[in-house]
Amino acid sequence: MIEILLFFIAASVLLYVVLGGADYGAGILELMPLPHLQNKQRDVINEAMGPVWEANHMWLVLVVVILFMGFPGVFSLVMVHLHIPVVALLVGIVARGTAFTFRHYDAINEPKSQNVYSMIFSLSSLWTTFWLGVIAGSLWQGRIDPTAKDFIQAYVSPWSGLVPFSMGIFTICICTFLAAVYLVGETKDAELKKYFWKRGFAYNIAVVISGGLVFVASYFEDSAFLKEFLTHPLSVACVVVATLLFFLLWQLLRRNQPILVRMTAAAQVSLIIMGWYFAMAPAALITPQGPVSFYDAAAPAATLRQLTYALCVGSVLIFPSLFYLLKVFKLSGKSLQGDSAQNDGK
Amino acid sequence: MDDLLAARSTMAFSLGFHIIFAAIGMVMPFMMAMAHFLYLKKNRQEDLELTKLWMKGVAILFAVGAVSGTVLSFELGLLWPGFMKHAGPIIGMPFSWEGTAFFLEAIAIGLFLYGWNRMNKWAHWFAGFAVGLSGFASGIFVVAANSWMNAPAGFDWVNGQASNIDPVAAMFNKAWLHQTMHMQVAAIQAVGFAVAGLHAMLLLKGSHSVLHARALKIAMVFATVASVIQPMVGHFAAQKVAEYQPVKLAAMEAHFKTEARAPIIIGGIPDVETGEVYGAIKIPGVLSFLAYNDFNATVKGLNDFPRDEWPPILIVHIAFQIMVALGSLMIALGVVYVFFARRGEIPNWFLKVLVVSTPLGFIAIEAGWVVTEVGRQPWIVYGIMKTKDAVTPMPGVQFHFYLFVVLYLFLSFVTAWLFRRQLQVAENNMTKGAVR
Repeated sequence: MIEILLFFIAASVLLYVVLGGADYGAGILELMPLPHLQNKQRDVINEAMGPVWEANHMWLVLVVVILFMGFPGVFSLVMVHLHIPVVALLVGIVARGTAFTFRHYDAINEPKSQNVYSMIFSLSSLWTTFWLGVIAGSLWQGRIDPTAKDFIQAYVSPWSGLVPFSMGIFTICICTFLAAVYLVGETKDAELKKYFWKRGFAYNIAVVISGGLVFVASYFEDSAFLKEFLTHPLSVACVVVATLLFFLLWQLLRRNQPILVRMTAAAQVSLIIMGWYFAMAPAALITPQGPVSFYDAAAPAATLRQLTYALCVGSVLIFPSLFYLLKVFKLSGKSLQGDSAQNDGK
Repeated sequence: MDDLLAARSTMAFSLGFHIIFAAIGMVMPFMMAMAHFLYLKKNRQEDLELTKLWMKGVAILFAVGAVSGTVLSFELGLLWPGFMKHAGPIIGMPFSWEGTAFFLEAIAIGLFLYGWNRMNKWAHWFAGFAVGLSGFASGIFVVAANSWMNAPAGFDWVNGQASNIDPVAAMFNKAWLHQTMHMQVAAIQAVGFAVAGLHAMLLLKGSHSVLHARALKIAMVFATVASVIQPMVGHFAAQKVAEYQPVKLAAMEAHFKTEARAPIIIGGIPDVETGEVYGAIKIPGVLSFLAYNDFNATVKGLNDFPRDEWPPILIVHIAFQIMVALGSLMIALGVVYVFFARRGEIPNWFLKVLVVSTPLGFIAIEAGWVVTEVGRQPWIVYGIMKTKDAVTPMPGVQFHFYLFVVLYLFLSFVTAWLFRRQLQVAENNMTKGAVR
């Protein structure tokens, strides 16, 4: 029973990064536009994110629900000791979602207000992604200490340190990379296409460098997790394959295969996350007293059974509708830009 | 502000904020789908314009509702880890269903907002309808989870630990049915009056009267039907509260002394020290009748309960009076509307009354939740766990509170501003359209 739930948690986190992460990345891309492409880029991102961002965001809600129902021990540890980064994350989520919607649905389209929404949208995308990475890094940094007595030790040091901060930067790079690569297929404009292509390449390099930083940080912090990662054959294999896939990705980009490009980039990021899972499992987080396993923190069997039913029935409803959503807007192979149909949104 | 008060205020503020958007998100899509249906059937241009106008409202408000709902799902753990640790496994089930419904709602809204001319027109219509359907379902699940805090069931509580957990029994506890019914009907009522009020305002301004008259009609059908049903649901709810939370009922009514032929106390300021209610109207026997269907029944008063288990009497009593008064007022408005609608002409003075009534339903919803939540204090899980034992051990919660007050006030302000701009533009376009 627990394995099914762990699968759902793992899949939800993965889909949140691969789908929702790209939405954050799009916001980050907007921070540094080429001036003459700024408006075009904004329109492409509006059209690309508009139909899907709310659904993409739901994976995070799903993770929270599975955790608090199925693994209350993990949930309360995280919520108590990572209160500060979680609040930072929430402020970012609120600002990002509303700024994006307001930008699209402001009836009066004037540069002044549009620029304010855009600024909030991009800064909060950057901010939220950073804190997501920090929270992920805190889980395996090993400083979440249920026995801590003073404020700093209990509520600040669990998430501060080289490991979480380097994870924050790594997450920013991953999301921006995904966004740039996904966006290539969203526009017909050759110049913009090339621009996204270039950004994808730059962030590709940034992913490798910042990923290296995470390893260096873990090495300096003497993290037990690093040893786990480097000695687990599957983790190593995942990272190696993910790196090799870059060659395929750039071939596909050159041949202008937007759907395959998306799938390859998503596969790379998924492999990196899976590598992390293999090294962590079955621990949910690491404390100074040792790892906290999902198996030890699980709710009673009756609860896990109901949760599994709900998730299975939910999947039967959610996956077909989600597939339909992606089919209508993302897998049709033609880009949205320039379609007359889009005017109905405004 | 101590940490417990800060945590309670944060929760109250976050819920009070979210509930407005949640209510709109679960009712307005139905109105939108109705207008859309009329357009698809009769092919009238103003129905399409109305659908799109409401669609924009839904899009803006849904986004605010979705993000503030996400905040709440985290805040349960951030502020009340002691509660979630025990309660999560017991009442997680409705939350997991709620998560599913919320997910479907997010998918449906994406399809509806952006699916014009991209989908089969009836599939597209259904996507809009499904936004309402899944929103409505998720409202039911969330309120069911809350009801468990009032009528805990589905577990044995031994030495501060829950055992023998039965999530199904927990969800279908004694309070789930009346709480969900009361809230869902209230949401229809509140959104009905709010939408009617907005269109009444636009009608008075004289812009595009065909469209706004139809909008007003659809909204008032929702509002009137819900207003007439609500007292029956409310009566059912009060009887249930009398049965399993007598102290809450006593606080709502400011009923201090246990007595037969208990009077209903309308209005007034209760004094907790003397047990008197100043300036109230008392009608003997009515409380006994409302609670037990018998004018001579004995109703337990606050004095029969330990003083440290009393909720804050003044707040609960006044909030309850506000809710009932507004509920009654809305019935009257509904009846008057039906009278004028049958005559086929709604006079301007009544439109003005409707404009003033825009927020009534929402004020009643907020007051009702104050009764439910403050009336449960000092318990977070009634009779099982005190609120003070559930709060986070982290000091400095007041900063969390200030942060979200500022954030949400700012959001409310921007949302209102956006609505103004939407209406301005809509008004201009439509006036032009009507002239042409």
